[in-house]
Amino acid sequence: MVDSRRLDLLDPAEVARLGGIEIVAQGVVEGFLAGIHRSPFRGFSVEFTEHRAYQPGDELRYLDWKILARADRLFVKQFEEETNLRAMILLDASRSMAWRGDPARLTKRGYADRLVAALALILLRQRDATGLMTFDEAVRQVIPARVKAGQWTRLVRGLIDTPDGLGTAAEAALRQLSGLLARRGLVVLVSDLLLDRELALTALRYLRHRGHQVIVLHVMDPAELDLAGPPEVRFRDPESAASVVVRPRELAAAYAATVRREIAGWRTACRRHGVAYHHIRTDMPFGMALRLLA
Amino acid sequence: MTFLHPLALLGLAAAAIPALLHLLERRTPPEAEFPPLRYLRDAERQSARRLRLRHLLLLILRTALVAVIVLAAARPILPTGGSGGSGGSGSGSGAVHAPTALAVVLDNSLSASAVVDGRPVLDRLKALARASLAQAAPGDRLWLVLADGVARAGSREALLASVNGAAATPQRLDLVPAVEGAARLVAAEPLPAREVHVLSDLQHTAFGAGSVDEPGVAVLVLAPPARVPANRGIAAARAGEGGLTIAVAGTPGASATPLVARVQSPGNAPARAREAGRTLAGPGQSVTLPLPPLAPGWWIGEVLLDADELRGDDRRLFVVRVAAPASVTAEADVGPFVSAALAVLRVAKRVVVGGEISIGERLGAGRSIVLPPGDPALLGQVNRVLVARGVRWHFGPAGPPGTIASADLAMVRGVQVNRRYRLEGAEADSGVVASVNGEPWLVRDGGVVLLGSRLDTTWTALPGAPGFVPFVDALANRIARGEAPVAEAVGAPRVQFFTRGADTVGATVFGPDPRESDLTPATSDEVRRAFPGARVLDEAGLAAARFAATRRADVSGLLLGFALLIAAIELAVASMSR
Repeated sequence: MVDSRRLDLLDPAEVARLGGIEIVAQGVVEGFLAGIHRSPFRGFSVEFTEHRAYQPGDELRYLDWKILARADRLFVKQFEEETNLRAMILLDASRSMAWRGDPARLTKRGYADRLVAALALILLRQRDATGLMTFDEAVRQVIPARVKAGQWTRLVRGLIDTPDGLGTAAEAALRQLSGLLARRGLVVLVSDLLLDRELALTALRYLRHRGHQVIVLHVMDPAELDLAGPPEVRFRDPESAASVVVRPRELAAAYAATVRREIAGWRTACRRHGVAYHHIRTDMPFGMALRLLA
Repeated sequence: MTFLHPLALLGLAAAAIPALLHLLERRTPPEAEFPPLRYLRDAERQSARRLRLRHLLLLILRTALVAVIVLAAARPILPTGGSGGSGGSGSGSGAVHAPTALAVVLDNSLSASAVVDGRPVLDRLKALARASLAQAAPGDRLWLVLADGVARAGSREALLASVNGAAATPQRLDLVPAVEGAARLVAAEPLPAREVHVLSDLQHTAFGAGSVDEPGVAVLVLAPPARVPANRGIAAARAGEGGLTIAVAGTPGASATPLVARVQSPGNAPARAREAGRTLAGPGQSVTLPLPPLAPGWWIGEVLLDADELRGDDRRLFVVRVAAPASVTAEADVGPFVSAALAVLRVAKRVVVGGEISIGERLGAGRSIVLPPGDPALLGQVNRVLVARGVRWHFGPAGPPGTIASADLAMVRGVQVNRRYRLEGAEADSGVVASVNGEPWLVRDGGVVLLGSRLDTTWTALPGAPGFVPFVDALANRIARGEAPVAEAVGAPRVQFFTRGADTVGATVFGPDPRESDLTPATSDEVRRAFPGARVLDEAGLAAARFAATRRADVSGLLLGFALLIAAIELAVASMSR
């Protein structure tokens, strides 16, 4: 049986060996929620419903000070989440996402699937309508945002049913997504961002312009951060089949600087357009990645 | 610049290895997927210039490294001038020389065993010889000349072993001929350099006549010692009619020293030797000690000096032959001179009248000394009798005048012979005791002695010579009896007896060369005269001058150091991250 309490803090590859996406996501979410003692997205769009007796660990900001003053009893206010928040998770399923630098690690896609499943579960538990769009060079799956029962299962099924694609065309997917979100909502783009940055930023800016909250999760394998390998190697891009012969040892420093510069470029550009940007490594525990979103 | 191992230069082809490896490595690199190829391209674009420079630098460094190592392996040699360097051993690391023909003349004669400053001179000379040979290179031709004058060719190791095994010998090194022979040997070698190292105590007596001046041969002579000990040695000890004559040699000016003479029977142990006498004598003096009465036979004696710095000449052996006087019958026809000589010998108790030996124109019953008949008509009769007695010699026709030559009879050497008959018959020169003009003049066969001339002044000047009586004595007591003289030879002290049948007929007494006792070094004039053009050097000077004319520096060590520097730079560049 899955030890669901702190799966969120374990090594993602180890956690992935415990079961399928649903089991892992549930375990991660349970551990994650138990760790933070509160719903991460509460307060975002909720209405008061009733009081209940204070339990140790409850946030003091939800204490009803009036009851405390009147009856000298500790009560906390409870809220009922609204269902009018519509979250769409946009997952990059291109060929580059199906890569890992070490067989002991999850591929970027494998990591992203589990992270998306966990994120969707958290959102659905908050009664937020959550949908999914997967894309590579074209949109592959679209599951509209719903809050009804079975939605999470559909989302997970959508993840599983989306094969690894070829190229990456995020701009088209983002534009199509804006058409699906009639009201303001939350858009989470999960990608390795090996795409045309300007086009993607244009689409993201458009989403922001439409009033959506946009979060970009930049998923990278640790091997993409530091160049290593044999003395001389021909590296081939799985998407374009282009290749280049390099000596990793002598190019490692320049490469690392380039990657740092690229990440910084994304972070700066996103900040400039009001887009939240988070860099996530595939060896990062899921809980830490989710905490970035909280 | 030359190379000791020029074939190693073929390895320069290996300098292409870095470039070839570079090309071969690039041919089939392993392939791997790597999605962020765009980052790689960016990084490569930004580093391209630096990487190209670095690759070029590495290629140059690696090629240079291989080339420098190959050059070092070829042992490049650079001339360093012929000044002789800074002295010392001269064999510092990297110091080499052109192929050289080297002859080391090591004087291990007896005088080299003298102890100076607590150390035998020979040890010092051997150390210098070893130093000379140790510096020899594989391309050198080497000889070692010892006191025996023999030039030994060999490898450095073999000659070093010979030097180590060289001990002082009783022989005298005739230095000038030895150096001359060595110089000729090296001069005949077609090598760039030729040297003769003369390592000797430069004893004055080692220098004879002549000089060594071989063009193109550098003669390096070790300077004579500044101080030599006062030495005394027994130069000769001979037993004669007057007793035991002892000659003392040594360094001029040395004080007299006690000496003692002993005799013993050859079969007895030295402890049973009888003391013959004691006296005091100094170098250059000759003393005669009376010998005690001795029974007939052969006796061995020794003369001893008090020990000094040169021990090898403090003892000399001698032999005493005590024999009964020959009984001689002189025929009437022997002439007045022989009769007079026999009369003298009879008075001296060297001969007695008797029938053991007859001397005259006819053969006697026993041993006979036969003179040619005065009447030529009798020659045939005498010859027939000789043949009948089985004598292989007979008188031949008259021969031309000449002078007498004899190795045995020193007293007759050079005496004129006016008339003579040729002595013919024996196939070889067996039995020839003396000759005239190279033809037998005095021969012995069995118990018969033939003379080619009558002992008369009309035939030969011998009767008028001082050696005539000793000659007749020797004829009667030794030659007719078939006894050889007591000879002396240079060698380790010992006595060697010669026997015929059961009889001892002669002996040779071996001892050191008496000239070795005088340790006086040659003057600088003598050295210059003997070795004009030679360099007379002390030990430090000799060390500096060895192979100096063609000394060159082996820069392989320097190149290896340079290679290490290149390797360090290469390592730094290769491990440089940016």
